Amino acid sequence: MINVKIITWFGTLELDDSEHLVDCDILDRMDIDHLARRMREIQQETNDIPPAGYDLCDAAQECGFVSNGEEYVSLLHQVSIQATKYGVAESYTPDMRIIQAIGTLDDLDEAANLLSERLSEWYGLHFPELDKNTEQLANFVATHGSRSTLSAEDALFEKASSSMGAELSDTDETLLKGFAQNISALYEDRRRIEDYIIGSMGQLAPNLSDIAGPLIGARLISMTGGLPRLARLPSSTVQVMGANRALFKHLRSRAPSPKHGIIFNHPLIKNAPWWQRGKIARVVAAKISLASRIDLYSGRVELSLKDDLMVRIATIEAAHPNPPARSTVKSGKGKSKGGRR
Amino acid sequence: MVQKEMSDGIFNITKGSRRGLATKNLDPGAGVYGEKLVTIEGNEYRMWNPKRSKLAAMALKRMRIPIRHDSRVLYLGAASGTTVSHVSDMVPDGVVYAVEFSARTIRDLVQMCERRSNIVPILADATHPSSYAHIVGPVDVIFQDVAQPNQAKIAIINARRFLKNGGHLLLSIKARSVDTVASPDKIFKEEIRTLEADDVGFHVSNRQDLSPFHEDHMGVVAERKIVKE
Ligand SMILES: C[S@@+](CC[C@H](N)C(=O)[O-])C[C@H]1O[C@@H](n2cnc3c(N)ncnc32)[C@H](O)[C@@H]1O
Repeated sequence: MINVKIITWFGTLELDDSEHLVDCDILDRMDIDHLARRMREIQQETNDIPPAGYDLCDAAQECGFVSNGEEYVSLLHQVSIQATKYGVAESYTPDMRIIQAIGTLDDLDEAANLLSERLSEWYGLHFPELDKNTEQLANFVATHGSRSTLSAEDALFEKASSSMGAELSDTDETLLKGFAQNISALYEDRRRIEDYIIGSMGQLAPNLSDIAGPLIGARLISMTGGLPRLARLPSSTVQVMGANRALFKHLRSRAPSPKHGIIFNHPLIKNAPWWQRGKIARVVAAKISLASRIDLYSGRVELSLKDDLMVRIATIEAAHPNPPARSTVKSGKGKSKGGRR
Repeated sequence: MVQKEMSDGIFNITKGSRRGLATKNLDPGAGVYGEKLVTIEGNEYRMWNPKRSKLAAMALKRMRIPIRHDSRVLYLGAASGTTVSHVSDMVPDGVVYAVEFSARTIRDLVQMCERRSNIVPILADATHPSSYAHIVGPVDVIFQDVAQPNQAKIAIINARRFLKNGGHLLLSIKARSVDTVASPDKIFKEEIRTLEADDVGFHVSNRQDLSPFHEDHMGVVAERKIVKE
């Protein structure tokens, strides 16, 4: 006769081969917090689970953990709520922070652009000759307010004194200055968030940061929903990731049609001659996949990754120094002579 | 003002301009997600919109909902608990194990659970029933609304572990989450075939298209009948 040990949320039980309880080691039912933490822990374990159809409520009564079914449910209710709360708290992982930070970056861009455009419209009524926009415009308005405050030494003094724009009342000036200060602060925030991402990526995914660059790396994590998921993706997927989104955007809003995923913003790819880009993208994507796996499983910094990448890129560059000859004939099927590929 | 029980714990209510499905509020005085509360003869009911719940749509389609006042229910895909709260109303003497894998979504559910003592919230992936096997015991009913691929498979592995013999599966199959190109009809057939082919012992007794309440969704009621070895 072989007894089996099973783990339950209220303790460890021993069953004989016809599933009868022979022994139990139950936990302190008053210590909800301990029960909850343990419940969370054993959820990660898939060993020693009760046999299919095993009635935990009956067993808990047999062990003397509770005296009836109602008590069982009531206690389980309390413990599971607490355990779920721990689970929710655990879900705030470093990659969640990065995902939120990337989202914040995008929101800030959108907000800053929108508000800058408004500022430009409004302030343009007063000083249309001012050739500034976005952050520069916001900083200018925030510091100077009305164009009449520019001193004679200022490079823009000429333009300001001969402006065709309307006068700015004191009230309007105060208002616009305040508005512009807020916009400047958004750009300031944006830089802070970027620094934050760079710093966090260095800790969470140093290899990925090294290969993809921290911002592209962070974006890949954000698109897949976390480092573990990114690490699981085939590199062919990594290579085109972000293209679909651009495609939908293109279809919706006549944005330029996308050719490539977000890794094409990588300087090694973006700055390469066009005929090498696809090939370089493939090796960069492969290294990104590898890097994210190393980050997930070992966390050790592997400097050889980047070296190896550079060697491979050098090989590609050497093998394809010139653009492929454009075929003038409309490529007829079967006629292909296997031009340079 | 009429109130007729169309199935255990599910009422058909007409009071003034309010009519429709409702469950008897287990937590009188409090709503859960902004639903209307109606009091009839001293009992408070929570109106239940079939557009917000596959289960309510199934009930309205006259599918038999085999949930009793003392049922143990395993609910897969609990989300923020809209439907779970009504199931909780239906089983004042039972229990609902509410499984949801998104930490973001389960937050609302947890808050609701604090007020409803028959719900056991579980943050877990329904494709890995072993991750909650130390918590959930045998159940009379599995209700599943996960809206993701392999819906029949998920139901099967959970039934094998938790569903009593003679117990019921209430399944909402979403056509679009299984496969985006195949026609819904084909997907429904395929999923039902998977259910019945498995040796877990499912017999599908009813299936209904849930439109117009939910497009491309099918409700399925199946019973687990294991032939004794
Ligand atoms: C359509 S919603 C459910 C709505 C809910 N039944 C209601 O009526 O209030 C589907 C839910 O299933 C969850 N889900 C999807 N796959 C899951 C899985 N494998 N395990 C647990 N939950 C899952 C999703 O996070 C989502 O919250």
